Amino acid sequence: MAFEEQAQAIPFWRNTQVLRWTAQIVSGLAAVGLVTWLAIRMINAIQDRNVPVGFGFLSRSYGGPIGHHFLPYNPSTTAADTADSFLYSLLVAAGNTVVVSVIGVVLATILGTLIGVGRLSGNWLVSKLSLSYVEFFRNVPLLIQLFFWLTVILALPPVRSGIQIGDLFINNAGISFPWPSPTGVAPTVSWLVLAFLSLVAAYFVYRRRSRLEIRTGQPFYPIVSGCIAALILGATAWILVTAITNSVPFDITYPAPEGRFGRISGGATVPAALIVLLIGLVMYTAAFIAEIVRAGIQSVRKGQREAARSLGLNQFRSLRYVVFPQALRVIVPPLISQFLNLTKNSSLAVAIGYSDLLSVAKTMTQIGPALSIFILVMLIYLVISLAYSLIGNLYNRTTAIKGR
Amino acid sequence: MLSKLFRKKIVLASLAFALLAGLLASCSGDDATTGGAETPEPGPTTTAESASATTEAVTEGTEAVTEGGEAVELTQSAESRLQRVRERGNLICAGRNDVPGFGFQNDEGRLVGFDVDLCRAIATAVLGDPNAIEPRFITAAERGPTIQSGDVDALIRTVTWTTSRDAQWGNFAQTMFYDGQGFLVSNDLGISSALELEGASVCVTQGTTTELNLQDFISQNNLDIQVVTFEETDAAKASYEAGQCDSYTSDRSNVAAIRFSTDNPEDHVILPETISEEPLGPVVPHGDEQWFDIVKTVMSILIYAEAYGIESGNVPTEATGDPKVDRLLGFDSSFGQSDLGLEQTVAQDIIRELGNYGEIYKRNLGSDGIGLTREGSRNALWANAPCLDCPRGGQIYAAPLR
Amino acid sequence: MTVSQPNPAAEGALPPPRAERGVIGWLRFNLFKDWRSSLLTVVAAIAVVFALFYGLRWIFVQADWGVVAELGGRIAIGNYNTVDSCASQNCFWRPQAVLIGFVLILGMAWGVAGKGMTRNIAIGAATVISLFAFLPYSWEEMGMDVRLLLAANLPALGVGWLLARYTPLSTYLRISLLAVAWFVVSMVLLRGITGAPGLQPVSVNNWGGFMVNLILAVGGIALSLPIGILLALGRRSRSPVVRLRIPLGNLRKLKLSLPIVKWLCIAFIELFRGVPLLALLFLSQYLLPLALPEGFFLTRIPLLRTAIVITLFSAAYMAENVRGGIQGLHPGQAEAARALGLSGIRTIRLITLPQALRNVIPAIVGQFISLFKDTTLVYIIGVLEVVEIGRSFIQGNIQIWGGADKEYFIFVAAIFWIFTFGMSRISRRVEERLGSDSRARN
Repeated sequence: MAFEEQAQAIPFWRNTQVLRWTAQIVSGLAAVGLVTWLAIRMINAIQDRNVPVGFGFLSRSYGGPIGHHFLPYNPSTTAADTADSFLYSLLVAAGNTVVVSVIGVVLATILGTLIGVGRLSGNWLVSKLSLSYVEFFRNVPLLIQLFFWLTVILALPPVRSGIQIGDLFINNAGISFPWPSPTGVAPTVSWLVLAFLSLVAAYFVYRRRSRLEIRTGQPFYPIVSGCIAALILGATAWILVTAITNSVPFDITYPAPEGRFGRISGGATVPAALIVLLIGLVMYTAAFIAEIVRAGIQSVRKGQREAARSLGLNQFRSLRYVVFPQALRVIVPPLISQFLNLTKNSSLAVAIGYSDLLSVAKTMTQIGPALSIFILVMLIYLVISLAYSLIGNLYNRTTAIKGR
Repeated sequence: MLSKLFRKKIVLASLAFALLAGLLASCSGDDATTGGAETPEPGPTTTAESASATTEAVTEGTEAVTEGGEAVELTQSAESRLQRVRERGNLICAGRNDVPGFGFQNDEGRLVGFDVDLCRAIATAVLGDPNAIEPRFITAAERGPTIQSGDVDALIRTVTWTTSRDAQWGNFAQTMFYDGQGFLVSNDLGISSALELEGASVCVTQGTTTELNLQDFISQNNLDIQVVTFEETDAAKASYEAGQCDSYTSDRSNVAAIRFSTDNPEDHVILPETISEEPLGPVVPHGDEQWFDIVKTVMSILIYAEAYGIESGNVPTEATGDPKVDRLLGFDSSFGQSDLGLEQTVAQDIIRELGNYGEIYKRNLGSDGIGLTREGSRNALWANAPCLDCPRGGQIYAAPLR
Repeated sequence: MTVSQPNPAAEGALPPPRAERGVIGWLRFNLFKDWRSSLLTVVAAIAVVFALFYGLRWIFVQADWGVVAELGGRIAIGNYNTVDSCASQNCFWRPQAVLIGFVLILGMAWGVAGKGMTRNIAIGAATVISLFAFLPYSWEEMGMDVRLLLAANLPALGVGWLLARYTPLSTYLRISLLAVAWFVVSMVLLRGITGAPGLQPVSVNNWGGFMVNLILAVGGIALSLPIGILLALGRRSRSPVVRLRIPLGNLRKLKLSLPIVKWLCIAFIELFRGVPLLALLFLSQYLLPLALPEGFFLTRIPLLRTAIVITLFSAAYMAENVRGGIQGLHPGQAEAARALGLSGIRTIRLITLPQALRNVIPAIVGQFISLFKDTTLVYIIGVLEVVEIGRSFIQGNIQIWGGADKEYFIFVAAIFWIFTFGMSRISRRVEERLGSDSRARN
């Protein structure tokens, strides 16, 4: 019996299990070995050449300028206080990159969808224009596009002789407009919390109404009623907070030129470099997104739209309720990788004068250990990328065709 | 059955593991032995370290690869950089090609500039040919790693001499130009001091410590200045010219070049404040004293040739009778040429090919270049050398050649 | 005028109304269908007119293209032929010989493919290259030899076509091998050989201009394809499972699986996809020389370090493309292959990959386009590629050429546009052909 079994057994060099295990382990060890070898060499070289490494510098104060920042930032060391640390400065810079990335992603998606739909428009001129847009912006390096937009914005008048329309200031240093600014911690925070709760409540109104609409077939105006609910609740909260704390949560400040150089202060100012960066990134990425959207819409069978039209849905609704939900399955994965591209491309910011993560990191390397700084920068970029990938994968999971 | 198979797998896996572990161990063991053998000295003296690095490269002798004919010869660890340069046939200088006056390419594609001429002077001294240079263009952040790695023979790239760089990067041979950070503003602003820049926006180029110096200046004087950082001078200049920034700041030499390049240089003024100290000069890798001395000597030759009034057009061909000049030109006695492995008449070659310090300055930075004034500035000579008591007020000075 | 087919509508059928025929009909249908469409048309038309007016006025009246003429051949080959890099002789013929070799291979491809797109591309490319021989430079600036070598590209195309037609070099495989050989020979030729007459070595550090962008993009894509395929297969690889029997209460069986290869591949792909190329390039300049042996040629030549990073970066994207192609295949394909008795490797080689790769050709072309544009980023490490060579020249001579960067960048943008637009057309054609195939299958 034993003899027979041995005769029938697969020799181990042809056993897929053995082969696979060997492959896994050998490749794993090879990779580990290669990495270890490089790491050992690198550590030796670092020691030999006195290359500064380590992460102790992160708590030291940095004191380099960051031109524009969304998080509060203090670079100057005075007798009264010390400058922000390397770590916090890096986070401020990462904040810039994240905000640029999120705003860019939203705008690029909107513009890209419009152009992608425009590509399929029945209007000849619109469809050809959309095509030219895609072919032009997709095929020119982004760096060159950014320089072009910088030249355009520099053609605006300088601050001292800028354009003023009411409370709107337009000049080549940026665009300034009135903006609500928080008045104090207690009223602002409490109102923000209440406003968030009203949004949640409004969402429930929207959901209930849309379910009713679907069930009964009668119009229940879910979006409109949701918005009204949010407004009413938000306004009530505002009045309540004002009554209790004796101060409005937000106060609108108006921009006004100030000082010898006429710099605009008050309100909110979007600096020119940020405008250039966003225009460049959005226009460039929108060209790619347009192609993705077009391909997505075309992937939905024509019969679907025809069926929707024959059910009496108008063109917008058939696109909104029938075509898009199906197209999204095709659109989302490549769309996410465009989001990643946009985020990574934002590292070109310093070429046109915007301080993003990479730019600040490069300045930091002048006084900090370059190796450690760059490892941190790569980690931050990885985290942002993985966050986008995660959103994409979650979406994929919820919308994947089930039961196949 | 399964467990039997599994046992086989385990045996196989452990065999493979042992193999790899052995390989790894032998590799790292190699490293360890070389490191241990080469650094018996207790103190981390740079010479020993660099020597150990070189031997390490030799241990991987098989990997000293010949790439398409370019022989990377690392035959002996004892080989000096001078020998290596002579074998290679050219001098590798890390530099720039985008700074007016210091290093840029002219219409014919020839690399010219103050830094480039210093590199050519060294090439003339050791190879006899001012064109035997191989420029390597690097970014500011790469300067440290590049010179530390020893891949280049000299780093001549508007590098500011600081103590920490001298300790970490390499040896600074000689200050050949005194620079400092200055501000450029438009005349119609009507300001005469950088302290009046309160509320202004200032354009700055990234890369060196310019940004950090500016922030220090802002902090010290408690000013409210908006800093706009650009990667490259082009964009910063365009931004300044369009009035996006009220001022442009950089090294004064660069500020002068930018001012000169505007449509009407008279409309712009360089403010008197100099907010940083920037002595610039060539850097050589740590670990080769001879090479360090050669570079210092070449710089001295350039400076003393000017002091003695010897120019490219009038290099004497025979002894003049002036002992200092004769010593410089190699007609009489020596200033250490043979000890450094240089020709007796090395100074003649250098001056004939490139001229003296003054000529190099004038050609690149002075009236024939970016138009910096030299008279009365720190970059004038310290004295008229033949008469030691007629000072010129400058700081350009080098070890006497004797 | 014989009525061969009965036409039910012919009798008494009226022609369509005037308003739906001809130019007016086309306009009505395509531009002014309803008020929304008309509004769009008017707005779009105004925008086009304005853009065209200002754009053309700038290009032909306001712009000063002097910097492009001044740089001339350096835009194409960087400092390859300057006094510093190729002092004792004229090295210009070497890149030109490489170009002629490329056109020769293009001619062969045409000879094999016959009519269609390949022919149009081949003839178009060779004609455009030959036209450069007639650039309005003086003889001192652009000699007869240079012009003749440029003009020789048209005959080279013909020779290639003839070779493909009348010699055994008439299969795609042989031409592909020849192309690889051409690439290797080109690199050696460009690099030069010490001691060989007429082949004075030109340091790789002096290569530059558009040549470098092309080398990096072509080399990067070619090398990243095999790496990308391996990574994709690795990422999809199933890990072996071992069932351990543990005599412990309910825990009878323990499934043990260790997908090391999969994890490694995922880690590699996500690392290289998640980080900006700019940061990778920067770090490579810093880290590679530290990690690799001193004096090793990779550490000495920045362009090679760049090439490695670009290849790995591109391989991570390639892996995802290929994975998409493999996932798009019906699992029945592989199952059928296994049922026929093909081994795992053969299934992949003969069944999975050929189909998967064919499906991802458009994606690969798209990636090539991105990579090609991304090669402009190597400026950060001082490689004088096409943008950097002009930028540094303008910045170094800012007194003379200050402000000319607009013209230069737009010129470079135009070059890139021509290349990438051509490639995206090719990709679209391939996509259409594949699309029609799959429709036929459905």
